[in-house]
Amino acid sequence: MENIKEYIESGILELYVLGDLNSAESAEVEAMSKLYPEVTAELEEIESMMVKVADKFEIEPAPRVKENFLASISFSDEEEIGAEDAIKEAKIIPINHSKLNFYKLSLAACLALLLVSVIAIINLNKNLKDTRQQIAQLENSNQSFANKVNYLDERVNKNEEALGVFTNADFKVVNLIGTPASPESKILIAWNAKEQKVLLDLRSMKIPKNDQDHQYQLWALVDGKPVDLGVFDAVEGVVGLKAMKSIGMAQTFAVTLEPRGGSASPTLEKLMVLGNI
Amino acid sequence: MSKSNKLFLEEPELIAALQQQKKIGADALYEMYSASLMGIVSRVILDREIAEDVLQEALIKIWNSIQKYDASKGRLFTWMVNVARNLAIDKVRSKDYRNHSKNQDLENHVNSIDEQMSSVYKPELLGVKDLLLKLKPEQQIIVDMIYFKGYTHVEVSDELVIPLGTVKTRLRMGIIELRKYFK
Repeated sequence: MENIKEYIESGILELYVLGDLNSAESAEVEAMSKLYPEVTAELEEIESMMVKVADKFEIEPAPRVKENFLASISFSDEEEIGAEDAIKEAKIIPINHSKLNFYKLSLAACLALLLVSVIAIINLNKNLKDTRQQIAQLENSNQSFANKVNYLDERVNKNEEALGVFTNADFKVVNLIGTPASPESKILIAWNAKEQKVLLDLRSMKIPKNDQDHQYQLWALVDGKPVDLGVFDAVEGVVGLKAMKSIGMAQTFAVTLEPRGGSASPTLEKLMVLGNI
Repeated sequence: MSKSNKLFLEEPELIAALQQQKKIGADALYEMYSASLMGIVSRVILDREIAEDVLQEALIKIWNSIQKYDASKGRLFTWMVNVARNLAIDKVRSKDYRNHSKNQDLENHVNSIDEQMSSVYKPELLGVKDLLLKLKPEQQIIVDMIYFKGYTHVEVSDELVIPLGTVKTRLRMGIIELRKYFK
């Protein structure tokens, strides 16, 4: 008992509480504490005094200490919540960023697309105009082609008709040749006495152009009497046969230049061509 | 004191919460002991920011090494005080802290260290001085060095050229005086 008092009074328990003993000395104090309740009681006294002194000299640390402390440790119970929060935070920021970027990019893309579209529309519009012009040109050329085809078709028909006439034995071909008044002129007539048809070959017609006030008139001389076979205008480069008035009998065909519409009797001074059968 | 507003757990509850690494354990540890431990660290380290860094380190160490605490060997607070004080002492003895202090001294060469101390921790230090004044002069320096400044009794013995046994008994007598004061 005396030894224990001495032990306590040595000051070793204070050093123990202050953590100022090596491990062997500490083990000794702990062993003594287990053996002697006085030692335990004394240690408790020293400790509670330390708490009181510490309480008296408290200094509130800056809030950052708490923040840093709680941020640098992990918890068993709130770990998941904390982790979720961290994930949320970590994710929210990039999402915001990426959203912002997304909108920026979208806007840029929209503007680029708009620009491209406008350019494309302008180009298309130009192309459309060009195409329309081309179509108009094509329509024109098509029209003129069709016209030409029609014209040629007509010519072919007329030529065929003429060929049919000239190869038909029933038709008599009469060459009317130029008189001294118009020696260069000549006209070809096909006459079918059976069917009383008189046809004027326009293709081979060679006669001076008549003016607006005059027309040529075809006559048939039947037993010395002139018979009117109709009027016609001088043409050039035209194919076909022009049907004149009918006659079943004639000895001579003649063309005179007469006032427009024709005359009742031929003006002999204006006799242009003449041909006997 | 403001302690009534703070989160408070009974010691066994707190120990259990710390051992199970529950968040309430960390909160209670901070609420209940951060200011006390800051006071202890501040006795050893005068620079407030460095003291706070050391406190933070101490809290993390307490949290991480709570399994080393053995309740049969003493109170939790005693163990925590020793963790904090040891870190503070290690810091004070580290090269960069000594450099830092030298720089401080150079910068503030006009002021004495005492003036520096009182300008930063005036109320608390006056309190400590008041407390120490209750002790006999030969006890004051030893209690201050070991209890408040964190010197080991071996260092005090070397520094003051006093036998180890004398250091111990003077410390003990001083602490008994303090105990009377706090009763």
